[in-house]
Amino acid sequence: MNLQYVPTICPYCGCGCGMYLVLKDGRIVGEEPWKEHPVNEGTNCPKGKNAYKFLYSDDRLKKPLIRKNGTFREASWEEALSLVAEKLKGVPPESFGAIASGKGTNEEAYVLQKFARVIMGTNSIEYCARFCHSASVAGLLPTVGSGTMETSQLDIERADCILIAGVNIKETFPMIAKKVLRAKRKGATVIVIDPRRTVTVSYLGDLHLQLQAGTDVALINGMMSAILAEGLENKEFIETRTAGFDELRAALSATSPEQAADISGVAAEKIKEAAIAYAKAERGCILFDEGITQHTTGSDNVAALADLALLTGHIGKPGTGVNPMRGQINGEGAGDMGCVNVFYPGFKQVGQESAEFFQNAWGVEHLPTEPGLTYMDIIHKCKVIYLVGTNPVMAAPDSTNVKRALDNLDFFVVQDIFLTETAKHADVVLPAACWVEREGIHAWVDRRVQKINKVIDPPGEAMPDWWIICRVAEKMGYKDKFNYASAGEIFEEIRSCVPQYKGITYERLEKKAGGIQWPCPSEDHPGTPTMFVEAFGTPDKLGHFQAVEYKPPAEVPDADYPDVLITGRNLFHYHTGTMTRRTDTLNSEVPEAYAEINPEDATRLRISSGSRITLETRRGRIEVTAKVTGRVPQGSIFVPFHFSESCANILTNPALDPKSKMPEFKVCAVKEEV
Amino acid sequence: MKGDTYWAWSPDPAIVDRAESGGAVTSLLKFALESNQVDAVLAVKARDGNRYDGIPVLIDDPEEVAATAGALHCVSPNMARCLKEFLDGASDLRVAVTCKPCDAKAIIELVKRNQINLENVLLIGLNCTGTMRPVVAQRMMEEEFGVDPFDVASEDIEDDKLKIRLRDGSEKERDLAELEAKGLGRRENCRRCDINIPTMADIACGKWGAEGREATFIEVCSERGADFIDRAVEGGHIKVEQPSAEALESRRAQDRAATELARQWQERDFGEFQAMSLEERFDYWFGPSGQFSQCTKCFGCRDACPICYCKDCYLEADRGVVPRGEIPPDAMFHMIRAVHVMDSCVNCGQCEDACPVEIPLSRLIFMLNRQLAPIFKYEPGMDVSAAPPLRMVTEEELSLSGVELTL
Repeated sequence: MNLQYVPTICPYCGCGCGMYLVLKDGRIVGEEPWKEHPVNEGTNCPKGKNAYKFLYSDDRLKKPLIRKNGTFREASWEEALSLVAEKLKGVPPESFGAIASGKGTNEEAYVLQKFARVIMGTNSIEYCARFCHSASVAGLLPTVGSGTMETSQLDIERADCILIAGVNIKETFPMIAKKVLRAKRKGATVIVIDPRRTVTVSYLGDLHLQLQAGTDVALINGMMSAILAEGLENKEFIETRTAGFDELRAALSATSPEQAADISGVAAEKIKEAAIAYAKAERGCILFDEGITQHTTGSDNVAALADLALLTGHIGKPGTGVNPMRGQINGEGAGDMGCVNVFYPGFKQVGQESAEFFQNAWGVEHLPTEPGLTYMDIIHKCKVIYLVGTNPVMAAPDSTNVKRALDNLDFFVVQDIFLTETAKHADVVLPAACWVEREGIHAWVDRRVQKINKVIDPPGEAMPDWWIICRVAEKMGYKDKFNYASAGEIFEEIRSCVPQYKGITYERLEKKAGGIQWPCPSEDHPGTPTMFVEAFGTPDKLGHFQAVEYKPPAEVPDADYPDVLITGRNLFHYHTGTMTRRTDTLNSEVPEAYAEINPEDATRLRISSGSRITLETRRGRIEVTAKVTGRVPQGSIFVPFHFSESCANILTNPALDPKSKMPEFKVCAVKEEV
Repeated sequence: MKGDTYWAWSPDPAIVDRAESGGAVTSLLKFALESNQVDAVLAVKARDGNRYDGIPVLIDDPEEVAATAGALHCVSPNMARCLKEFLDGASDLRVAVTCKPCDAKAIIELVKRNQINLENVLLIGLNCTGTMRPVVAQRMMEEEFGVDPFDVASEDIEDDKLKIRLRDGSEKERDLAELEAKGLGRRENCRRCDINIPTMADIACGKWGAEGREATFIEVCSERGADFIDRAVEGGHIKVEQPSAEALESRRAQDRAATELARQWQERDFGEFQAMSLEERFDYWFGPSGQFSQCTKCFGCRDACPICYCKDCYLEADRGVVPRGEIPPDAMFHMIRAVHVMDSCVNCGQCEDACPVEIPLSRLIFMLNRQLAPIFKYEPGMDVSAAPPLRMVTEEELSLSGVELTL
């Protein structure tokens, strides 16, 4: 009998928790605490505790599938790869788009963007971060020079004032919630900005700024004007480390807590109280996510938070910062690897200079120099799409039109681990290995690079994503540029052309529980827990204030659609449910879709918890079970997007933030029918 | 015979070198394998030599035993769970298990519940005065000892001090009470643990009574243990000497001191809870900012607890007892957990280690256990024939008027 405890990192969220997988004669039979891991110290959330179970699901994809006359038939790798290569050959750059995975390794993300750029000649390579933190990059690049999380997760418990904006951390980042709880027990003040009274509000929050959905800029401007009125801005920090303060002050003179109260519905006194607590703190820490970013004003929302942090000097020290929380295990990493229409690997801006750099690094010519299409444009404007490990039919806004667009493609390749709602529209489906079925690295939320080792074989004939892409490249005549024998070889190439990763090696990662946080410029560099300690990432190294004005959401309630729809998440499920709905312990906790409805609205509709209702927006209709709760305010409905039988994104608005092309998942107009 | 005591060490110089205290335990484990008394040894190993990362290892090659030599104080893998859950409770595997008192007690409680086959298990008990959480230990090494945690070659708890030896041979020590006042030092349950010598195992091995010799003091605690040691001695697999009377007394004195310290911690920790009024208690546990209000239903406590053994657990969503999908879960989640295990809590602390929101579960449940113990005269994990009082109905109880047994 062979028993092994093998350490790995959870495949679910951005925290990056350690765990042991217990293997008996080569099969994973359990999960045990890895007590040395600094992020979670031997504790895990419900998803982590059950994380390995989906691996052995019966309906894992085991063989390539080719669509013929409306149904799929199994095919050999040879046939499927040849077909893909044949269909991709000669597709003009403007007609091709690639969509990478938020759960793929860095090595896999890197290979896919290289494929798109070298072989297909396009910068139309994107991934799910368009839907979560494109607004953060647009808001943080001009203000602080980098769109990543600034503090280490481990330092959050040192903060004495934590501002949680648009994120329900108790359900979506449980280990970060643990750190906030520790801070709170040491006396920290926790302020939560959320239109709902979530469990984060109830059990972590001291002060709840329960704003009307989509009024974040007004609220934050109100907070800043209160800080200025009290003279609590950090004058020394502003003087030495920022630019543009006068313009901000001038812009804010047109705002006030009272004005913010009118727009947001949060009492002026509360806005002042929150602002003053944050300003007066020793270490103020802003944590934000989709509730801030997923708006047509997402980038403005983020810029406003950045202004708030710069105004008070709560940035550049451990346990401070304006911190975007990328929720996927490789939400950070896939972006680092350049799966973005305007960035080559390492955040080199798409353009002549970057093209030349990578032409040199990759030994190729004529790399594309113009920005590619963004995610929704890829879906609607490309003729051929190669999509890896992501599920836009469930996760992109306006699902009905997404499906229509996918069905209109000339050719659609999906590489995934299950036949997802999106894969069902493909012409070719390629079975992928995932998580501990292959080796590779990810970068978790706080730029924490950790390694996943191969622990079991993938099912059937499934292969790692990087291998599949390389085989296609080979069939298209590019063997010499995609000649990797292992993930390790790909990582060596990444290290050579992505300076932030240069000092990270597989050996170093194997030896360090908790991994290494980039930037890590050399092999003796310990990594960088805190960003901006001495300088910002802007050209002049200063933080730049950017005054932003409140604009309402693209679609607000009206006579036809009188309520607000908010979409989001539940602790027991993850995103489109691909993994969690196949895990009995998790699915039995929350087996069906639900819509949170306020008791007053429920009374008006004469329904109670358990009633079936129909929700309709201008995009479509879904049926769902009502859950009557005071957690959601009167006039708002909350629907999680995990359930394909009641797909929330059939309802959502594809209107985009012009600065970041981020869809407005968090606000649209809805009506209920009973 | 049961009760016999020895100073013991390995006859193999290489093992003496590799191990601490003369390598007797290493040699005994090797002997158990080589003589086919067991199929495998279940021990704790520092993964990749990392003293902060201890994993259970199943060894069937005697040559691999030496790599598990030496006490690791900064790890606490769940040995009873490993045996129960991943080794089928030793149903068809004969295994020697190295165990601290809490591990041994947990195994004995699981034997009572038909989850572990005691016939197939040889319990090699190891004295223990406490382990530390690895992340806390690393911080303590840096902040309190001023050393790189990975320069530490060994740690020891002796005479109220935490002593460390570095790779370069130098030694440092700090006062344990001082460290623990700052929240460093041992895991909380360990501070409260008053059973340092595992007499519930087949043999109990440790440094107390070794009087500075490079030897292990072994006490035979069962007939099976006696047989095992006799065979080991006869075959020359360990060398032994009779301990002096002073050694025996010194061992008793150290045990008394450690037990006394543990009782002080119990009084202090449990006293905090007991000092609260009923209202304060309700608020502390069940109030809107109460401990249980933070629970996210990870089931970590239930998974880790050796007394929780049901395959079809009452708390799970499909049983319909605790409303599904709610966080925090209904108060019944924690009430049921407590009621199901409190008569038998072995104070292993695994529940508290596993809790993502740091609920003081071990403190609560062991406190309840200490209150029950004198009422039912039941000490968990000590005697395999003593039945858990809340699981069993005695003849006497059945004959009380008003008592019925409904199946």
